[in-house]
Amino acid sequence: MTASRGSVFLSQEMAKVAGAPPLAYRDVALLGRPDRLFNLTLQAGEVVAAIGEENSGIEALGPLALGLTAPASGTVEVFGLPIGELSYYDLLVFRRRLGYLPQGDGLLQNLSLRDNVALPVRFATDHKLREVDAKVGQLIEDFRLRAIAGLRPAQANEEDRRRAAAARAVALNPKLVVLELPFVGLTSRAAMDLLERVSRSEDGGRRTVLLTSRDLTPSVRGLVSRAVRVVDGVASEDAK
Amino acid sequence: MLHAVRAAARLTRAGRWVMLRVLINQIRFTALQAIFLVAFLAAILAFLVISQSIRQLGRFGAIDNLGTIMVVAVIRELGPLLTALIVVSRSGTAIAAEMATNRVMGEVTALEAMGIDPYIYLVLPRMLGAIVSVATLMVVFDAVALTSGFVAAATSGMSLNRYTSIVLKTLSAGDVWLTLAKGIFFGAAVALFCSYHGLAVKAGPTEIPQAVTRGVVATIVAIFIMSALFVVIAS
Repeated sequence: MTASRGSVFLSQEMAKVAGAPPLAYRDVALLGRPDRLFNLTLQAGEVVAAIGEENSGIEALGPLALGLTAPASGTVEVFGLPIGELSYYDLLVFRRRLGYLPQGDGLLQNLSLRDNVALPVRFATDHKLREVDAKVGQLIEDFRLRAIAGLRPAQANEEDRRRAAAARAVALNPKLVVLELPFVGLTSRAAMDLLERVSRSEDGGRRTVLLTSRDLTPSVRGLVSRAVRVVDGVASEDAK
Repeated sequence: MLHAVRAAARLTRAGRWVMLRVLINQIRFTALQAIFLVAFLAAILAFLVISQSIRQLGRFGAIDNLGTIMVVAVIRELGPLLTALIVVSRSGTAIAAEMATNRVMGEVTALEAMGIDPYIYLVLPRMLGAIVSVATLMVVFDAVALTSGFVAAATSGMSLNRYTSIVLKTLSAGDVWLTLAKGIFFGAAVALFCSYHGLAVKAGPTEIPQAVTRGVVATIVAIFIMSALFVVIAS
């Protein structure tokens, strides 16, 4: 990564909190109500599903984890760092350690699927152009995008777009990935395939994954370490 | 914006390449694809102004003032204004609509989530592209206007030598610098105002046309104010 004031600051901060859980929500008012506080801690390698209806508060989990929004109360810690307290440019650098699949994929419409996948690799690494191409080619293969890599998002179907967005989310091999409603419109088999690929890191280990969903099919539940049900901004353990 | 420029200077090699690609695309759309329109309007405007001026000035035996009209009215004032207005109507609208769409489709949030500064990826290349394009188009406008002015003068029986000496008597190096300065400021205004209003969209797709209108109106007002300021500063 390019040396910058932000990255130096972050490496110092990261050293202080080594061993901290990848993601922890502490007394967060997801719906802005002080009597409904959300607590959830993800341990390394866990795949946690936050299940909830519309307006239950699960919509806020992704933006809070990425520091895109600040919690109304409480703290959100990512690898031990209170992410809401970082400055804008420190946050930008910090987010390169995280993977994010936003609701509705968030692909750039004027880029091909390949260029979308390549974007974080081009901006956030010091790889040479040839190395970037090799890395992107590998991701395209892993997520079975080769036949459609040249298409724009609007030309691809929902499943292909979701796989491209997932490939982009893990392009920098993050240790923590946040997936917002990743299975909407996907078949159970496609959903399983997506989650399996996202939760497997480049060295074969397991990534920590937080996913939000309206519901989970039994087959996808088999891949989830823990499921919590979110009702009115409060989490309770969900029986698997 | 200063943060964005500093951060752009720290971009990785591949990041710079991506930015360069966006910049080249912007120049291609803003400058290259607008050259014929700018040249056409410059030719018509200069032809009309010089034809009418020769007729009127000839009646008073003040034909030597043709150079002043050509340089002051066409080259210094109307040229930059008309060029900037063409760029606003073609590229300013496109920039505002694109930015608003990026915002509505969640692409700006996605960029921030990837650790990419949207001001570097979206705004900076468009601003540099608009500056280069407007400055270049102004030079094209001036060149075509001077040529077309000669054609108009020649149809009234004026020789090339006479036309050249009349125009050069008023044209100075200051006009070149003024054109360059206007290109930079007008180009930056097109990109910044249109980007700002595009990115300010919050509610949804129905707000996109309103954002485009706001961006274009703000840019036109800014360009006219800047044009007036240039006159004050230059005088």
